[in-house]
Amino acid sequence: MEVAFGAGDGDEDATAVVAKRQASLGTIFEQNYRPWEGNLGPRWMRNYAIYRHHVYGLFSSKGHRHYHPMVRLLVLVIFLASLTPVPMLFLASLMGGEDGSFLDKMWGVNRYNLWGQVLGYFPRNLCFWPLLTALVVGGMISDDRQHGTSAIYFSRPVTRLDYTAMKFLSVSVILGFVIVFSYFVYYTSAIVFRSEGWAYLADTLPMFLGGMLAGIILVLTYTSIGLALSSISQSRFFAAIAFLSVIYGTKLVSLLIELQFETTFLYILSPYDCLAHLGQYLLGIPYNYEHPLSFSVVSLVVINAASIALLVSRVSSLEVTRE
Amino acid sequence: MGEIANDSVISIKSLNKKYGPHLALDGITLEIPCGAVGILGPNGAGKSTLFKCILGLIGITSGEGTVLGYDIRSQADLIRSKIGYMPEYNALDPGLFAVDQVRYAGELLGMNTKVATQRAHEVLEYVGLKDQRYRKIETFSTGMLQATKLACALIHDPEILICDEPTNGLDQRARSFMLQTLRRTVNQGNRTVLMSSHVMEDVQDVCDRIVMIHKGKIVVHRSIDDLVNQVDREIEIMVWGGASRMEKELDAAGLSIRRLGRVIRVKREDDSTIRKILEAAVSAEVQVRQMRDYEPDLEDIFILIMERLGTEIKGTADLMTPEHTGGI
Repeated sequence: MEVAFGAGDGDEDATAVVAKRQASLGTIFEQNYRPWEGNLGPRWMRNYAIYRHHVYGLFSSKGHRHYHPMVRLLVLVIFLASLTPVPMLFLASLMGGEDGSFLDKMWGVNRYNLWGQVLGYFPRNLCFWPLLTALVVGGMISDDRQHGTSAIYFSRPVTRLDYTAMKFLSVSVILGFVIVFSYFVYYTSAIVFRSEGWAYLADTLPMFLGGMLAGIILVLTYTSIGLALSSISQSRFFAAIAFLSVIYGTKLVSLLIELQFETTFLYILSPYDCLAHLGQYLLGIPYNYEHPLSFSVVSLVVINAASIALLVSRVSSLEVTRE
Repeated sequence: MGEIANDSVISIKSLNKKYGPHLALDGITLEIPCGAVGILGPNGAGKSTLFKCILGLIGITSGEGTVLGYDIRSQADLIRSKIGYMPEYNALDPGLFAVDQVRYAGELLGMNTKVATQRAHEVLEYVGLKDQRYRKIETFSTGMLQATKLACALIHDPEILICDEPTNGLDQRARSFMLQTLRRTVNQGNRTVLMSSHVMEDVQDVCDRIVMIHKGKIVVHRSIDDLVNQVDREIEIMVWGGASRMEKELDAAGLSIRRLGRVIRVKREDDSTIRKILEAAVSAEVQVRQMRDYEPDLEDIFILIMERLGTEIKGTADLMTPEHTGGI
């Protein structure tokens, strides 16, 4: 018993060793409200923030809108592919040869090649520009619908006009960087590689400007259609696929009608063909279409107007609160 | 810069809002002082419409109103630069890091990037996300998402913070922290918080006044203490066996009662109420296991008011199924 209860005489203080909880380690979190006395910038700063968020995100994933790596890769591939005439021009300049030689006709600056650089169907408008647009507009507004991030925009002093305009500008700049910038590089490299002078510039500048205008109208048209489709869905894939369907589908249907009934009239439904028709006028090359140019111009205006109207309507319905 | 009239941060007079033939807000007149105010009402009452009007997101049909001295009809952008809104549903870009999302929220207000970045770090620390600010939002739990939304709303130190269901989907610990954060924002930051929630306990915890909306009209606009004092005092008893007999005896004794299963609440009429309860227990041959003064909470007040308005509202106890209560 003594062993069980200890060997003492019973007068000592009764003590017991008990397990103690391990001391908790860590920093003490002190929650203190910190006021902010700064000033908010004007409207252009808010708008620039939207623009920067969308455009910079294509180049840097840090802190800006997230673009999937494959999207960035494809945009880069399309941009490099659109610059393929540049090395060919360089090659032509190395090989020399007279004006009118094969390489000069294929890659040199002339009305047909300038038109083809922007509005040629293959490969640019079959493979490059529609795919580029689909990749860029895919989640531009549909992501805001899907994730509810419109609440972040409209609970701030960002108007729906600013939101729409900055999204439009962002897409246009990205498309313009690839389409119009590559066109500009092509023209500039032709001058540089062939050591052309001011006379050449004076001779070719009007058609260059015509092609540039056609490129800008193409960028604006594709942006309008793409953003309108992005605004009506919550899925970026719907917007992308729908855009490709519109561009290719209308072209295909019009082509079938032409082959079957030998009329080009239905090409007024195809945004690409309307742009191509207008581009042929601006660059002064013979038309591929039998119907008057005015039909294509009106069709372009209607397509753009309808797309922008749809876009404005859908953006107006973006909610901030829910009942 | 607008001047604040008296002590009211929000002043609305005869505000009407129609959506086609439907009258969403009917003659709302409201003066909201600085502090924490709960906005209550059943679904479809007009709470979100009221928020939209305050934020200047929708045009009003008639009436007038000012928020921090700015007219809701013509100075909506200035109002939204002074208000922080924490939406009910998820409103965050899952592909961004938390600090980038909060920074972008600040830039959308016109903050300089550097200032917005610094402020984003500060508010994320304030809401308890200091260690998670470099994680992608898609990896966040519900509590962290709510905290990030609160950070986005607080980045510019708004004078009014509107919180729509701030404790939605939060566990007990996260909920406590959220409520503590909102209380601190009111007390330490001296800010006004408008909180809309269906959890009365949360509203009672944070707010000192409530505005109750029903069918587009304001039915109650009082401090919570005033409301509690106006509700009848009750004695809550818990009986063991024979609750129905006890109910009949109490009824026969002329007492006004509310029964919630084994728990019976008896309206305290005078000093003899307790004696009558005990006498009823003796008559009914039931054991009274517990007897205490019942302090009415906001949920009781809300249910009472809605019942008087002719709308049946179920309380927390009624909504709890045996699965929730472990079969008890």
